[in-house]
Amino acid sequence: MSVRRLIVIVIALGVWEAVRRFNLVGPLLLASPSEIVAALVKSWPDYLVALRFTVSEIVIALAFAWALGIGAGVVAGVRPFFGAVSGPLLSSLFAVPLITWYPLFMVWFGIGMASKIAYAVVSGFFPIAINTMNGVRGVDPHYFVFGRAIGCSRLQVVLRILLPMAMPSIASGLRIGTALVVIGVIVAEMLASLGGVGYQISYYQSVYQTGHVYLGILFALACALAANWGLSVIERRFTHWRELQIGER
Amino acid sequence: MAPAIPVVIEARGLGKIFSVERAPIVALQDISFAVPEGRFVSLVGPSGCGKSTLLQMLAGLVPSTTGEVLVDGAVVRRPIPEKISVMFQDATLLPWKRIAENIEFPLEIAGVPAAERHARAAGMLALVGLSEFAERYPHELSGGMRQRIAIARGLAPNPRILLMDEPFGALDEQTRIKMGHELLRIWAKTKKTIFFITHSLTEALFLSDIVLVMSHRPGRIVGVIDAALPRPRTYDIIGSAEFGAVRNRIWKLISQDDTEAGETGMASL
Repeated sequence: MSVRRLIVIVIALGVWEAVRRFNLVGPLLLASPSEIVAALVKSWPDYLVALRFTVSEIVIALAFAWALGIGAGVVAGVRPFFGAVSGPLLSSLFAVPLITWYPLFMVWFGIGMASKIAYAVVSGFFPIAINTMNGVRGVDPHYFVFGRAIGCSRLQVVLRILLPMAMPSIASGLRIGTALVVIGVIVAEMLASLGGVGYQISYYQSVYQTGHVYLGILFALACALAANWGLSVIERRFTHWRELQIGER
Repeated sequence: MAPAIPVVIEARGLGKIFSVERAPIVALQDISFAVPEGRFVSLVGPSGCGKSTLLQMLAGLVPSTTGEVLVDGAVVRRPIPEKISVMFQDATLLPWKRIAENIEFPLEIAGVPAAERHARAAGMLALVGLSEFAERYPHELSGGMRQRIAIARGLAPNPRILLMDEPFGALDEQTRIKMGHELLRIWAKTKKTIFFITHSLTEALFLSDIVLVMSHRPGRIVGVIDAALPRPRTYDIIGSAEFGAVRNRIWKLISQDDTEAGETGMASL
């Protein structure tokens, strides 16, 4: 990090701290950096427990959303009939604000982890499935014929040729889907749950401990950044050739 | 044609009927021919006459409605990659694999051990004269070079027959002519049987021993032309009187068919 950037950050934190110290903004609206640090010092064990809770939900939900989304997208992309039937359905379902379904998820899966995971999986599923379907459809049909001609089984055609060909499109679906899974888990925790980072945020908000609320937001941010970082590592691994291609033009 | 040469691939009464909105459309009708070993056979015909469908039937990729395909005397029911390689207008290289890995890919699917794969890929790259590009990616090569890689990949499993579906159709004319020469050189060296689809009469005649002429809807073989021009062939041959005379014969066969189509329905034009 450059020195100039560091100076900007220090100044910003200083202004932020000053705004609270001189009480320009009330304590309910804004917590100062020192208040957030105090909250961390006081409650870090609670937050670690919450973080573990949330991270396990995110990891499980991501595994399901990715696998189901890619699987459904491939089937819809390869089978024109299935795609024609399910494509508009998928798109229109995706258009409904999913959060309206959350009370039903509570009824179906209870107040524990399962309802958060299910809700997050559904949030992440659609963009992944739709992008995978479009990616697979965009592959030149001669690649199917080529794969079959060299003796690939159907599964080999999908795994060795179609999926890698569609990878740039799948990767953008995963990018959106992963963000939605993280958001889904935390929002669901905030609405009704027994633990997790989202639970911490909504609990401390209800008892007016703004410092703790901001700390929770920072933890949520950390989850999103970690998921994004993990995704970009995987993405680079699988689409490096596409970057090479673009870099060359 | 000397009768002693064995037949590698044979079509017997091949027909294909598609059903479009419950109305049957006869795409191919009663197609029979035999390709002797080591010959270069071209198939010419108007676009949409079912050439590609025929090629995919020969490769065991599409089932025929009537008739059968025989390779080395055995009926073809599914793809036989160890005997037949297929090539298209697009090189269909895998963009995330290096050139050498692309050539090895069919061998990998066939379960050939790594050491042998590397050796064969190196040999094929040398054959098509692109050894220095082994570690490059497909997008770093020109269209003509990519097609040469596709030829190398097709030849790597050491098949009996190379089926080529307008392989140079997307190339500019100069590259196309060079690729024709290149293909003849590789063919002379490997002595493979080649079945080559094109809509260019000149290309077909320049390359082939035998030219099959196909009609439009239903697709039928309306003529078998023996292109007995001397080899090795150079570009000059295209200007010769003999070449022109044979090309005119093919053109007559095709244009005759066009008038028929014109009488039965203008929609096809």
